[in-house]
Amino acid sequence: MLERIRQWIERRKGRQIGEHDFSNLPEPKTSGNLLLDDCRLIILDLETTGLNPARDEVIAIGAVAIQGGVIHLDDQFDLILRRPELNIDETVLIHGIGNEALTHGHETQDALLYLLEWMNGDPILAYHSAFDQKFLEKALKLQIGYTRNHLWMDAADLLPALFPDIKPGGKGLDHWAEHFGLEFSTRHHAAADAMATAELTLIAINKAIKDGVKTVEQLNTKLQYHRRLQNMHRF
Amino acid sequence: MAGSPQDSNRPQNTRAIMTFLREHAPFSNMDDAHLAHFAEHATLRFYADGDPVITPEEGVVKRFYVVKQGRICGERPSEKEDRTETTFEISVGECFPLAALIGERPTRTLHRAAGDTFCLSIEQDAFVTLFSDSEPFRDFCLRGVSSLLDQVNQRLQSKAMASMGSSNTLDTPLENYALRNPIVCSPDLPVSKAVARMHDNNVGSIIITDDNRHPTGIFTLRDLRTMVAEGKSPLDTPIGQVMTRNPSSLTSDADAFEAAMLMAEHHFAHLCVVDEEEHLIGVVSERDLFSLQRVDLVHLARTIGTATHLRTLVSLRSDVSRLVDSMLAHGADSGQVVKIITTLNDVTVRRVLELNLKRNDPGIPFTWLTFGSEGRQEQTLLTDQDNGILFQTPEGMTADQVREKLLPFARTVNEELAECGFTLCKGNIMASNPKLCLSGDEWDEWFIRFIDASTPQNLVYSSIFLDMRAVYGDTEPLRLLLDKVLTRIRKNALFQKMLAGNALQRKPPLTMFRHFRYVSDGDHRRALDLKRQGLAPFVESVRVFALANGVETANTLERMSALVKKGIFDAKDGNAWREAYSLIQAIRMRAHQEMLKEGEELSNYIDPDDLNPLDRRILRESFRQAQRLQQKLEVTYQF
Repeated sequence: MLERIRQWIERRKGRQIGEHDFSNLPEPKTSGNLLLDDCRLIILDLETTGLNPARDEVIAIGAVAIQGGVIHLDDQFDLILRRPELNIDETVLIHGIGNEALTHGHETQDALLYLLEWMNGDPILAYHSAFDQKFLEKALKLQIGYTRNHLWMDAADLLPALFPDIKPGGKGLDHWAEHFGLEFSTRHHAAADAMATAELTLIAINKAIKDGVKTVEQLNTKLQYHRRLQNMHRF
Repeated sequence: MAGSPQDSNRPQNTRAIMTFLREHAPFSNMDDAHLAHFAEHATLRFYADGDPVITPEEGVVKRFYVVKQGRICGERPSEKEDRTETTFEISVGECFPLAALIGERPTRTLHRAAGDTFCLSIEQDAFVTLFSDSEPFRDFCLRGVSSLLDQVNQRLQSKAMASMGSSNTLDTPLENYALRNPIVCSPDLPVSKAVARMHDNNVGSIIITDDNRHPTGIFTLRDLRTMVAEGKSPLDTPIGQVMTRNPSSLTSDADAFEAAMLMAEHHFAHLCVVDEEEHLIGVVSERDLFSLQRVDLVHLARTIGTATHLRTLVSLRSDVSRLVDSMLAHGADSGQVVKIITTLNDVTVRRVLELNLKRNDPGIPFTWLTFGSEGRQEQTLLTDQDNGILFQTPEGMTADQVREKLLPFARTVNEELAECGFTLCKGNIMASNPKLCLSGDEWDEWFIRFIDASTPQNLVYSSIFLDMRAVYGDTEPLRLLLDKVLTRIRKNALFQKMLAGNALQRKPPLTMFRHFRYVSDGDHRRALDLKRQGLAPFVESVRVFALANGVETANTLERMSALVKKGIFDAKDGNAWREAYSLIQAIRMRAHQEMLKEGEELSNYIDPDDLNPLDRRILRESFRQAQRLQQKLEVTYQF
């Protein structure tokens, strides 16, 4: 009996992360003239049940914030979602999140609302962001009916665009991390991957500012230009 | 990587930072709650190669930094030229800028990133919280300096660093070391053949290279031993499967210091030397860096102790100097070395006395006293005579009659000692001085006058006469005398206070901003006097505490230990002061060895610019410890 009460309390705890004002969520910022050396950027990484956004689900969200070119560790996001109904057998070996962690995780809707509030509408960077963007947008739409557009940038474009002369062993997060001698605390943990991505982003921002890139918009333009260039090479 | 149970409630990135911190002092000794406080309040900053991290222009330092990855160099403008020079280096896990942060002042040195560098950093608020809540952290910050000394000392002791005798060798580029044509092989060579090749060439390592002569691995005799012991792979295994991959390498313009540090840090004994394109050009072994010399103290002492002629004793003095050289080169701790010098000096003094007694015994029982540094057993190669005689007056003779017999004897001894390299004392503090050739009662009266009439001159002499030891003869008369003297001093608070005031006259040579304060005499414009400015503040302050608390020994290090035992010094303070004192002494002795090698006259002056950055840093931190010791003296005697 005691054990069940304990579990129930644990679940209650996981359920509520403050009060959410659904009608008053932060406004997504368009890049406009946000200054790189001043603005807040969200570096996000998701762990999912698989690679297919149509079928698979988000199970963990890790994010860190860069503000004024500095990672602030008191401003981070590290949640496992409570989704006991999900089948995670396929991926449990990669991210190490088992059924138990999922049943004790946070209620999805709460977590997503909390994430939106925490992100505060700031631009989002992710490594191979298309993947994270699809998953997150789907989860937001299905779970809480949220469909607003946020500004996403791909950290995977950031480094080759700013360091065109560096050719690491490949395009992955690991390759760039290895090139700069970064260490992952653990790999395939949303928060740790977000941290490594954020560290690379710090390196990129340092370079961008030296290259005269001042605003998020200018940076985004540079990324898009790089992407177009890449696509041209492909044909 | 023991994490506490509540670790799992903390975000992954907080835990990761705590894990990182736990690997480094002082965090390794801190509670998890305090580490968590650090991690949760930290920011992570990136600095590209050459980016400034903190500058003097920024004003009062408001943040505390820990290097997470990369390196920070301290830079100050060089006075001579239009460039800057590196004053220190801070590497992974090390903290900065402690002194400026605690002193609430701007940094004096431009801190610049060397290579891509990440730093963890907390704001002053979080720093103050940790400082007040965590004892290990507070200790580290206050003694930051001495904790650094701890580490440096460990390195000094560690085999590699140890052998780096003089500061010059530290700067010698690796290319100056005999880089034997390294023995190499390809990865497919069987181990047995590779070992045969090593054997033929009488070397302990073989480098495995690829077609372009890039080193890909190294195999050493130690690896062979492990392989044989484990018995997992047969000796015909291709060496590429058992070699240590990616051997450490340095370019030939790196210096011996870097090589020694790298070896000491990773506990390996061989390094590849490569050119800019990473082609192998040589191998440096630990042994190459420090050519071994036999140190034979016992033999030398025996030879001195049985010499039959003065000229033999004179010629043996150069062996003493060579011995000191080689002991220093082997990283003997400076406290040990000065004791060895003192021991050999004692043997010499005794032998001179014995030879003279054989020739011409005055027939009076006496004790040969030494004062000052020899009394403290702290002699270096630069030493002059400070001695005296304590005699027992035979029945039916007056003290003056005894002196008549003893003084000519003492004069000969003083002169012969001078021939052996113990310079005659300019202040005539020598046994041949009638005022210092006294009976037990006369010495007692002498000390009563010395203590009661604490004239400025007497206070100057306190550093000589209050550090006294018997070198030859019966020690009992001296023990009785010391007993009386110590009791008198312990009861005389005024004398203690005057001694303390005198000890505070000599300030460690640091400016308010922790820069070196140079002596002002014309000849030594950019010089520090390591003896008077560096060691004396320790010696004199410690003497006051020792005499006031009935510590009998005259040796400064032993006095400090005794004071810790008596609870007068906090154990950690005592350690820090012992180390700081020893390190200044070590630097002084190395300087002496250098001067000897150059054929210069020995002096206690050094130009800190001639030191390598590590030694400069050590010296500065050691002086700061002297300031702390003097502060304790000030507080104790309420100045």
